[in-house]
Amino acid sequence: MDARITLRVDGRVRPLALDTRTTLLDALRDHLSVTSPKKGCDHGQCGACTVLLDGRRVVSCLILAVTCDGAEVTTAQGLAQEGEPHPVQRAFLEKDAFQCGFCTPGQVCSAVGMLEEVKAGHPSEVTDDLTGPVTLDDEEIRERLSGNLCRCGAYVNIVAALREEAES
Amino acid sequence: MKTETRTSLGVGASAPRPDGALKVAGAFAYASDLWLDGMLWGATLRSPHPSAWIRSIDVGPALALPGVFAVLTHEDVPGAKFYGLEHADQPVLAVDQVRYQGEPVAIVAADHPETARRAAAAVVVEYEVRAAVTDARRAALDPACPLVHPGGNVVRHQPVRAGSAGSGAEVVVTGEYEVGMQDQAFLGPEAGLAVPADDGGVDLYVATQWLHVDRDQIAPCLALPEDKVRLTLAGVGGAFGAREDLSMQIHASMLALRTGRPVKIVYGREESFFGHVHRHPAWMRYEHGATADGRLVYVKAEIVLDGGAYCSSSPAVVGNAASLGVGPYEVENVWIDAYAAYTNNPPCGAMRGFGAVQACYAYESQMDRLAAACGLSPVEIRVRNAVSQGSRLATGQVIDSPAPLAAMLGELAAMPLPGPPAYAPSGSRRQGGSGARARGMIGTREEPDPRRLPGGVGRTTRGEGVRRGVGYGVGIKNICFSEGFDDYSTARVRVELLGGEPHALVHTAAAEVGQGLVAVQAQIARTELGVDRVTVAPADTSVGSAGSSSASRQSYVTGGAVKAACEAVRRRLEALAAADPGLSLGELLDRYGPVEETREYRHRPTVPLDPVTGQGDSHTQLALCVHRAVVDVDVELGLVKVVELAAVQDVGRILNPLALEGQIHGGSAQGLGLALLEEIQMRDGRVLNPSFTDYLIPTILDMPPMRLSILENPDPNAPYGLRGAGEPPTLSSTPAVAAAVRAATGLALPRVPIRPEDIALAHTG
Amino acid sequence: MIPFEYLRAGDPAEAVAAVAGRPGAAFLGGGTNLVDHMKLGVAGPDLLVDVSRLPLDRVEETAGGLRIGAAVRNSDLAAHPLVRERYPVLARALLSGASGQLRNVATTAGNLLQRTRCPYFQDVTTPCNKRVPGSGCSAAGGYTRYHAILGASEHCVATHPSDMAVAMVALDAVVAVLGPGGARTLPLAELYRLPGDAPQRDTVLEHGDLIIAVELPHLPFARRSAYRKVRDRASFSFALVSVAAALDLDGGLVRDVRLALGGVAHKPWRATRAEAELRGGPATEDAFRRAAEAELAAARPLPGNAFKVAMTRNAVVATLRALAEEGR
Repeated sequence: MDARITLRVDGRVRPLALDTRTTLLDALRDHLSVTSPKKGCDHGQCGACTVLLDGRRVVSCLILAVTCDGAEVTTAQGLAQEGEPHPVQRAFLEKDAFQCGFCTPGQVCSAVGMLEEVKAGHPSEVTDDLTGPVTLDDEEIRERLSGNLCRCGAYVNIVAALREEAES
Repeated sequence: MKTETRTSLGVGASAPRPDGALKVAGAFAYASDLWLDGMLWGATLRSPHPSAWIRSIDVGPALALPGVFAVLTHEDVPGAKFYGLEHADQPVLAVDQVRYQGEPVAIVAADHPETARRAAAAVVVEYEVRAAVTDARRAALDPACPLVHPGGNVVRHQPVRAGSAGSGAEVVVTGEYEVGMQDQAFLGPEAGLAVPADDGGVDLYVATQWLHVDRDQIAPCLALPEDKVRLTLAGVGGAFGAREDLSMQIHASMLALRTGRPVKIVYGREESFFGHVHRHPAWMRYEHGATADGRLVYVKAEIVLDGGAYCSSSPAVVGNAASLGVGPYEVENVWIDAYAAYTNNPPCGAMRGFGAVQACYAYESQMDRLAAACGLSPVEIRVRNAVSQGSRLATGQVIDSPAPLAAMLGELAAMPLPGPPAYAPSGSRRQGGSGARARGMIGTREEPDPRRLPGGVGRTTRGEGVRRGVGYGVGIKNICFSEGFDDYSTARVRVELLGGEPHALVHTAAAEVGQGLVAVQAQIARTELGVDRVTVAPADTSVGSAGSSSASRQSYVTGGAVKAACEAVRRRLEALAAADPGLSLGELLDRYGPVEETREYRHRPTVPLDPVTGQGDSHTQLALCVHRAVVDVDVELGLVKVVELAAVQDVGRILNPLALEGQIHGGSAQGLGLALLEEIQMRDGRVLNPSFTDYLIPTILDMPPMRLSILENPDPNAPYGLRGAGEPPTLSSTPAVAAAVRAATGLALPRVPIRPEDIALAHTG
Repeated sequence: MIPFEYLRAGDPAEAVAAVAGRPGAAFLGGGTNLVDHMKLGVAGPDLLVDVSRLPLDRVEETAGGLRIGAAVRNSDLAAHPLVRERYPVLARALLSGASGQLRNVATTAGNLLQRTRCPYFQDVTTPCNKRVPGSGCSAAGGYTRYHAILGASEHCVATHPSDMAVAMVALDAVVAVLGPGGARTLPLAELYRLPGDAPQRDTVLEHGDLIIAVELPHLPFARRSAYRKVRDRASFSFALVSVAAALDLDGGLVRDVRLALGGVAHKPWRATRAEAELRGGPATEDAFRRAAEAELAAARPLPGNAFKVAMTRNAVVATLRALAEEGR
């Protein structure tokens, strides 16, 4: 069954005609040639397909595109502003927070979404006092990014990259 | 000519990755991102059975589906029906029988990936299921075991005999150890795009570790000359050994040649678990004899590796397990038998550490047992037996470059321990038995920080029953290919004026798989040529082989080739400069045009192990890494939190500090995963957990902070004195974590991965 | 995935009518479970009625309790100030589940209705009574590490995977359902069923029944409550066993207690026997142990999961002990 939807992807309005079975990830990759979200597992188990959907980080592989009509989608490619990498992207570069890089666009989107959640005061599983303010220490960074697998094991440097972001 | 070495991003600098900006922006093209208009999608039908005869294959129902362009079986393989890295025993598509669950039987090309998958499922295959051979020990050692291949079930048996085993020891410890089947679990699944060419050949864009060995296996199966099979490296989303064997390369090429259309194949995650080899599961029995003061007298070991259904690189894995089977320790009397056996389990082959990982877990577990038996600390027992430069290995090979193991252990032990446990050991009511008070335990009274407790995050306990343990692990890994392999790399370097500035172009076929090789090649060119502007060309088969991105060998061998080619270019430039003194490099290039040289680089030759005695100088370089793990264990619930990993590694010469640290972090993480999490669950030859929900790799929360000390004791035989670095940390982290858990719990824990129930069941109170 | 029609419902009644009128229809919430199952071939609806944007996305204060809209996202529920303050066990359970990205999508009702992670249920090439009634149970005699020790049947030994539901069952949550026959409420504990001879039915809901809200009753002592999850990996993995508990102490005595277990049964398991054992008794480790053992006396572990009995007992003891110490 076909459906017509419109997405705003990385700032561009993109009308689409697609089969209702199409996931947001496949819509981005196969219909719009936006390949920065990666298909690492296609079952919501690795985080490589993470994008920001109306500002919130989500795994795009488990979301049907047809449910996103009118939504704003930001991928790693869209985080850069006027050719300048997003501060999180710059921090990943400076700390060598990746190796093969396959998980990196998802890591970056997840980190950007995570920082917003912290700003909004959302607790995590490691937040000791559920009712108190959140301080983004290393353990908080780790727990909050645990939905993004990195098999190269660049984790130590990812923590370092986001520690800088947390402090700034 | 003035040789300018002012360049700041040469050898030794943390030069940024040339592909880094693209990778963080999501603009780097991985194999799965490739796209050509009009391309078809391939899919693979795989055997659901671990062992069966194929009675018939009917492709008719698949061909009848709209959108399907080709359905191929073994009958359609144009050339050789079998391929393989060491022996061509693996069918391109199953011929009359299947030997493992997931073996490719038929391939399909269609205009949509979903159509291709449905068409593959529509192929009707009639199987006659046979009993599966799934016990590697039985396969290797029981003559009555059914044969997986007609030539016998033993892929390789490699003995090592030195001295006379079994006499003169005052202390003897024995143990049986097991290592589960680990998966490389790279994040970017197998993918490639095959494009039919006008000359009847094929251009293949693929994520692989070794373009030329792929080509050497693909071309005969396609019945094409090598020059008509051209490979270009597509972006590689991790490798770790799993891309050393072929996956979709021949299949996509066959479909492209048959349909005349580009064909892309991308595996899904589940298929990826079936589409590549795994780390050999191992069963190992060890006996260590020592003097009362802990000096090794003899080591006996039997090592059985499950090779699975096809050979892959099992023979070389056996060679490593045998030759490195006692670890980096001096011992005169050695009696080792290492085997790999064919079974109907998934084929096993290369994974980071390659045969040395399994043995390391066992011999290090033994060293801890010996320490306990001799009343020595884990560090002291290792120091007393440590190899050093000049030591003779069990194979008779003398270590001829620095191997400062005792000093490394000393440095490791002297590193500060992490802060006190995040818990308050409760009063006497929760005291463990004497075993739990083993060496390495630390007990302090502190207020709990509940977030830092096992179970990830502390909500599992507030500290009662939580015990800290410290463990050590030592590993020795051969660098580069061993046992007489002609192991070389090729580099072409061209210096020319671009935009009025000197520019170097480095071209090799070496696969960047995330290790940072592109950066290192550019660094070498900058240092050798004094040129700031360096481009590393895409890796492809239009230049000579670089060998594999495995065995921690590319900085050594391809680094050596780039260095040699740069030196050749530099010599020509110097000759020109001598004829034309006073000219700058730019002026020379302007006058004489581009200068290009191609060089092959080989490391020192090695020899195969003697098949009876296991003697021989089989390795060209050996590398050491030592780890200390600190863990907190909730013994009631069986939860382990690794608090810190510390490592000391001697890399000879640091080429790129930042990338090197990343390699040690990553290797350590994979070793931690093997110690605590990762195992492909097999039952009767079937894989039960081919997903990232059920095959668990460490998350960022599982990976602790690391303390690193990196030593530079140069190897005079290697370029820049470097020593390969990617694999050694994968060896030593596993036994270190296991030892720490043992120290915390007092349990024997002879198998990795250690599961919560292995701990909790022993503390059922 | 088989083709399906998609309908974004305008209000709950429209959604119910749309699904009730078509046997192959299904509600779509966040989709993190259903879409996955459609990919795996486990589910194959021919009509998806999207209820994720219905105006059911609010958390409202009721007489001392909370009413949680069915479409409230897991992350929003965990972050809600009243949940954090009054029902920490629920916030903790939510935060221990899945990943940040999934919690941002998954809905309250969808979480309640997620289906088992039994590997055979998810592998359409193997027999499974839950997926194909009457086809047999591959887990019996198979790989059972993640399977049930309580309340299983010969037809099914699967476990319910939710963390959130365990906390809600402990809190005496009530679900509000709108069905083709009208609205009704039922205790969450009664929503779930044991497998018996019909393991294809996870709950008592009928086709077309739509959960529209979850009500948490006034329970002041839930401010001292905890969720503990024992799992293979530190984060982003399902429970081997889990414990949700709230403890009300009167000096050294247990005035009241709520206790539920996850990962041990076909449903979130309310430990009523243990609660009865504890009420009025001493808040000591021995008493906690006896209570856990009373609950687990009915355990019938499988060859691959015998460890869960001791692990569950230890987790119960550790959870109650910590709550008791917190209260002193």
